[in-house]
Amino acid sequence: MARMKFICDAERCIECNGCTTACKNEHEVPWGVNRRRLVTVNDGKPGERSVSMACMHCTDAPCAAVCPVNCFYTTGDAVVLHSKDLCIGCGYCFYACPFGAPQYPRVGNFGSRGKMDKCTYCSGGPEADLSVAEYEKYGSNRLAEGKLPLCAEMCSTKALLAGDGEVIAQIYKTRVITRGYGSGAWGWKTAYRETVAI
Amino acid sequence: MRVMLISAVAAILVATGAAFFLGQEQRFAYQAFATTGARVTPSSNLVGPRWTGDPDVPSKSGQITPPPG
Amino acid sequence: MTRLLRIALAGLALALAAPAAHAQTGRDVPPPAQTQNPNGANPTAGAVTEDQLFRELNKLQGRISIPDGKAAVLEQPQGREWRAFRESWLPWIAGVAILGMAALLAIFYFTRGRIRLEHGEQSGEKILRFNSFERFTHWMVAFCFIVLAISGLNYILGKRLLMPLIGPDAFAAWSQWAKYAHNFLAWPFTLGILFMALVWLRDNIPNRIDVQWIRQGGGFLGDGHPHAERFNAGQKIVFWTVILGGFAMFGTGLLLLFPFSAADINGMQLSQVTHATIGVLLTAAILAHIYIGTLGMEGAYDAMGSGQVDLAWARTHHDLWVEKEQAKTASGPQLRPRATPAE
Ligand code: SF4
Ligand code: SF4
Repeated sequence: MARMKFICDAERCIECNGCTTACKNEHEVPWGVNRRRLVTVNDGKPGERSVSMACMHCTDAPCAAVCPVNCFYTTGDAVVLHSKDLCIGCGYCFYACPFGAPQYPRVGNFGSRGKMDKCTYCSGGPEADLSVAEYEKYGSNRLAEGKLPLCAEMCSTKALLAGDGEVIAQIYKTRVITRGYGSGAWGWKTAYRETVAI
Repeated sequence: MRVMLISAVAAILVATGAAFFLGQEQRFAYQAFATTGARVTPSSNLVGPRWTGDPDVPSKSGQITPPPG
Repeated sequence: MTRLLRIALAGLALALAAPAAHAQTGRDVPPPAQTQNPNGANPTAGAVTEDQLFRELNKLQGRISIPDGKAAVLEQPQGREWRAFRESWLPWIAGVAILGMAALLAIFYFTRGRIRLEHGEQSGEKILRFNSFERFTHWMVAFCFIVLAISGLNYILGKRLLMPLIGPDAFAAWSQWAKYAHNFLAWPFTLGILFMALVWLRDNIPNRIDVQWIRQGGGFLGDGHPHAERFNAGQKIVFWTVILGGFAMFGTGLLLLFPFSAADINGMQLSQVTHATIGVLLTAAILAHIYIGTLGMEGAYDAMGSGQVDLAWARTHHDLWVEKEQAKTASGPQLRPRATPAE
């Protein structure tokens, strides 16, 4: 099976927020919760960079390790998913996540904070694939339909790539060689403990 | 012994009070992370009528079209 | 001459590159062996890179168009360090502190045994040691603390010890309720700590008698009974541990209850580290307190149970206090002027 990853080619990203919109719409993510977001570093200065960030589906995921109810699991495609039935909304996964992926329906960490929500790599949750229950809790399951995450599919500049880590790394490498310079595989070292060797 | 019981009851009362006041403070993400220009009416443009992120409360109840497949 | 040569070379390179670029539009081609960028210049060479930013800063932060400040943090590798603390260190700190304390107490119990009432400690006459408000405060804090300690430890050890026994679903339901209890009982706990500080602070200022008390081993090690006022040095230590620890727990707990209201992501991690560490140490300390107050010393429980202790017991253990109390009331060993009678 594939080892699914995301890569954002910061050289190409134009901060159009198409990926965040695609994600919001595909999974009907409510207001205030952003599974994918665009962060611009050095905004407005020469040398600014925009990076599209969601859950990176880390190797040896920190969120899964710290969860006090062990509600995370890793699929055969190395996608990090969680069960909203078990989650108690403690907020620990957000402290551990290097990329700020987990989100909560309510702000205060007391009482009913709601169930954590994060990028599912468009592959749902523990419920049966493509079931209504799965859709209501986690959004659509494109992976089960043989499709890749919509954010990357919709990316207007193809800055954001999703798919088997080796394949997308190869595409990125080809680009780097073609244009003569790289933009850094943002987050890869932290998430996967490796970077794209050029 | 009676003092012990009273103290336990008092603790639960204070805790209930705290729960009430904190509940008033609690805000939804759609309230906290929206600018003034956003008109969020949880009945129509949120996923469900009362989107809590709680799987027990069905979202888009009744209107959901199961994804194809 | 050299300039001419360079132009000629660049033209040649362009001519060579053009067909290859054409081929790319059709179908997949293997990656070219070398760069096909005509002039090799990088138009965004001045752009920030992740490596460079990490050399300068410990986390990457930018601007974001959603009004959620914490989402502007692009990357914080400290999450991995916090995870290492929470998953590798904390269970050990908790285990060693609590099991270690339990072991120490067991050893003490089996070697020194229960500290019994001595023959002369039962006079039949009673003296009021803690009035009902003091007992109320004590038990409110105690009740909350037990729930807070159990639900707190559940965050650390629950998935390791309890979850395999009852299964993930029951464990998640229990943890959810434990979380509610933890969040809300924290408030009466703090209130109780505040009351405690108010009613007992006066009697817990360390002084010279305490030094003497500690030097004599507090009567635990030898057979003598060192002088003590209302609280002996050991009890004063418990008092200050609870007051300082309690307020520290409240402060860090407040930060955790209102995430990101006063701290950024690293601040949140630090509050959790402090809260958890102090919490398990406090739990271990309170284990010792519970032991001495019940099993460890005969007669000690009455002080908090009924509020009244035997006058003779009080004379041996808190001689200076009894003297003071008796001086206050001409009618002998009885209630303090405005103290509420114990039921
Ligand atoms: S990016 Fe965050 S949420 Fe996603 S797997 Fe890594 S630690 Fe978990
Ligand atoms: S918020 Fe939910 S998923 Fe995240 S660590 Fe807590 S229980 Fe686990």
